[in-house]
Amino acid sequence: MSSVASGAIDHHHDSTTSTGISNKKLLMWIFLASDCMFFGCLISTHLIYRLHPPVGTPPASSIFSIELTSFSTFILLMSSLMMALAVNAIQKGNLKSMRASLVLTIICGLIFLGCQVFEFSEFVHVKHLTISNSILGTTFFTLTGTHGIHVLIGVIWLTTMLIYSYTGRLSEKDAIDVESMGLYWHFVDIVWIVIFTVVYLLEYI
Amino acid sequence: MSHSAVASQDHGTEHSKFELFVQIAMLLAVITGIEIVTVYLPFSHTALVTILMLSSTVKFLFVIFIFMHLRWDKPFCTVLFFIGMVLAGFTMWALLQVFSAQASIPLSSL
Amino acid sequence: MADAITKSGYTAHDEKITARSSLFYRPQAKTGLMSWLTTVDHKRIGFLYGVFALFFFLVGGVEALLIRIQLAVPNNNFLSAQQYNEMFTMHATTMIFLAIMPLSAAFFNFIMPLQIGARDVAFPRLNAFSLWVFLAGAIIVNLGWFLHDGAPNGGWFGYTPLTTRAFSPNHAIDMWVMGLQLLGVASIAASLNFITTIINMRAPGLTMMRLPVFTWMTLITAFLIVLSFPAITIALVELMMDRSFSTNFFEVSNGGMPILWTHLFWVFGHPEVYILILPGMGIISEILPTFSRKPLFGYPIVVFSGACIGFLGFGVWSHHMFTTGMGTVATAAFAMTTMAIAVPTGVKIFNWIGTIWGGHISMRTPMMFALGFIWLFMFGGFSGIMHSAAPADAQQHNSYFVVAHFHYVLIGGSLFALLAGIHYWFPLMFGRKVSEFWGKLSFWVIFIGFNTTFFPMHFLGLNGMPRRTFTYDPNMGWNNSNFIATIGAFILGVGVTIYFAVMVYTYFKGERVKNDPWDGRTLEWSLPNPVPEYNYRVIPVVHARDAFWYEKQHKEEIAAEHAKLEKAESAHGGIHMPFQSIYPFIASLGILIGGVGVATIDSNPDPKVIVGKKLTVCLIGLGIFLYGVYCWALEGNEGYHLHLDGHDSSDTKH
Repeated sequence: MSSVASGAIDHHHDSTTSTGISNKKLLMWIFLASDCMFFGCLISTHLIYRLHPPVGTPPASSIFSIELTSFSTFILLMSSLMMALAVNAIQKGNLKSMRASLVLTIICGLIFLGCQVFEFSEFVHVKHLTISNSILGTTFFTLTGTHGIHVLIGVIWLTTMLIYSYTGRLSEKDAIDVESMGLYWHFVDIVWIVIFTVVYLLEYI
Repeated sequence: MSHSAVASQDHGTEHSKFELFVQIAMLLAVITGIEIVTVYLPFSHTALVTILMLSSTVKFLFVIFIFMHLRWDKPFCTVLFFIGMVLAGFTMWALLQVFSAQASIPLSSL
Repeated sequence: MADAITKSGYTAHDEKITARSSLFYRPQAKTGLMSWLTTVDHKRIGFLYGVFALFFFLVGGVEALLIRIQLAVPNNNFLSAQQYNEMFTMHATTMIFLAIMPLSAAFFNFIMPLQIGARDVAFPRLNAFSLWVFLAGAIIVNLGWFLHDGAPNGGWFGYTPLTTRAFSPNHAIDMWVMGLQLLGVASIAASLNFITTIINMRAPGLTMMRLPVFTWMTLITAFLIVLSFPAITIALVELMMDRSFSTNFFEVSNGGMPILWTHLFWVFGHPEVYILILPGMGIISEILPTFSRKPLFGYPIVVFSGACIGFLGFGVWSHHMFTTGMGTVATAAFAMTTMAIAVPTGVKIFNWIGTIWGGHISMRTPMMFALGFIWLFMFGGFSGIMHSAAPADAQQHNSYFVVAHFHYVLIGGSLFALLAGIHYWFPLMFGRKVSEFWGKLSFWVIFIGFNTTFFPMHFLGLNGMPRRTFTYDPNMGWNNSNFIATIGAFILGVGVTIYFAVMVYTYFKGERVKNDPWDGRTLEWSLPNPVPEYNYRVIPVVHARDAFWYEKQHKEEIAAEHAKLEKAESAHGGIHMPFQSIYPFIASLGILIGGVGVATIDSNPDPKVIVGKKLTVCLIGLGIFLYGVYCWALEGNEGYHLHLDGHDSSDTKH
């Protein structure tokens, strides 16, 4: 825990801090720990109401579309890969390669959001599940919508960073900024991993 | 997780991380595929829930340790994140238990 | 010091930064309103937290006195039932979120970076943002007093379905929801900052097990805030969705369960209790060793039991809900964890007693408040442990016994500790000392007034008087105790008035003191008072747990070390200071406008008018917020370097 700098300069060590972890990364990890509680409570709400649904609730599997959700899950997974590659690229000082990866991440994020918009409108207009007409709609739309907002914020952040990389605001030295953003983006992905299992898949068994 | 590992990682094979990331992503995709198929298999309810929970935990761990670099970072980051994760998991478990107690189930859904 | 300030880029490429900086407004004012709005100095931010907290403390105090006037005699009609509901809701909300928490935050901000030998917190602008968002939340919660809808009146716990649209149709609850949401954002942002600061910005040699206990408790409190506020954020989001978009989270007719709110609220609410008390415990753990002239007894145990309380605090929430019928297993489990959490608390009490045991005690005002704390907090603890037995709790639930209990831990505990802390650190903050006579007088008046108010409430509760009742019949046997409690409340009010009148007087006219007036033990006392903007002329190296005490025992050694460190530091380009910034304030202003829009303005019912009044206000708020955030991001975290001339400045002695 002392501030003695180690010999090799690498992206996992910041000699100006007591622990060697850079401030931004540490802040992001604590924030993600906090966000765990955030989504934990939201997912709990959904599960509690799914375990004790009011009489006459239709089975959720008759509303969900497993094909669409599997596709968007795959897309989000690929965006996570692209994000990891972007972080890897800027840590090696390869700004060009990072830009390409960031663009792909953004595209994947947008496809995911598009899928969600399509899914929501399908549910509302075809399946007649709205946010106010049943408890299933209430918890489902609130949970996945909150996740969607996280994705949207991530896409805005990614786009901002991409623009910064052209204006010079973001250079090779700022790998930590991209890395922190990456942590956020991967977190959004792992939340979806949980949602995909407990909200969607469990409804089919 | 130590310094030497990090150093060798960076100075050693340049492409190793790139390939690792791609391999992990493929692995995650495969696990997801298996999950989707599992749902339709004629196993018992408990077995299916267990399989799904385990597989999503595996995916979760792969993402945080590989994509989010926890494996190469200081262990302290892992500790920090796990504080939140464990507390959240514990709170979820406790809430579900409390609401499943016989005395708590609303009469309308009995 | 202004002539000593020379500007230079923080990072390697200088010309680029100056080019970019010129795009942005760089406030430089060191005095006047602008200097306060743009400050990123943790001491000034701490001071502002303190000022706002004390203002709201007085507001909450007046609300409490109105409540006591109403209850002084049976069948009183001083307040209407509606006004009474507003009073107890706002009294609790104000005292918890707008008085005790920000007062603790004031100490976190002011003292913690000094104790770890840092020049500022890890993210100075985020710190300013936390302060202004806190103020925005405070304004929105209190806005109802000035509007037609009235102040929030659903209790500080906001139980559904009382707070749903069907039973609280006007905007009072919307304001409460929005205000609390913002206070949550502010607290989380501040806490993320504090955790990063404590973990990452310690002076060399300051290992975790050498941290002063107050800093340890800051760390644990910050963790509690970060991990418990998301629960209420979710609960408030769900309530807001129910109220604004007619969802069904708490709508029984559509399968919603109002008890879910209660659970989520207390998942937050119980850790919140420890958020309120742990800073106080930290302050006490600083004051007792100083005035007993002994190191803290069992330091590792005190730290460990603090962490233990923090962790267990997440597993006891349902003891607020024993009477809701959770089933035997859950009730038994939560009763057990509640009993368990008393153990580390008791351990701390014994450690404090061990600290003063055989010490060379000097009875100064901070020490008086600290000893009062131990005594009263123990009382609150005793009645608290009685609640942990579920069958007993079924009798005490929602009675004045509970009111007595939590006022003993919140006033007798948290507030006494904070008042002790103000006295203790006042010389460091302002270079003046409160007169011993007036300090001790205020202590005794507060102590007597407090006990006269709240001790009779134990009996009132056991005699069956329920909480939150706006009046009572004369034949219930509650008359005398209520009247005594009201008299006590006024004595307490007089005591608090003396306390703060003396503080204000001392701030302007008090006796000036030299450095280190209490013969302190921790690092902050090594600083000159008032503390210079850059805190430490030289970042110290810490050699022992009571760092400053060690320095005082090894003067030559430390002087030589300082000289060496100073040379090394000036070779590195002097002291780096962050630029002031207006953007955190602008971002918070946007949040305030948007928040007011969401909470208080009716949406336009006509679907043809696309830009309704509500939407316009919200979009303006969003626009200002985004402008603030983007400028904040773009201006970057640069700063300038301060070069101190070692010969002429008078504030350089250590």
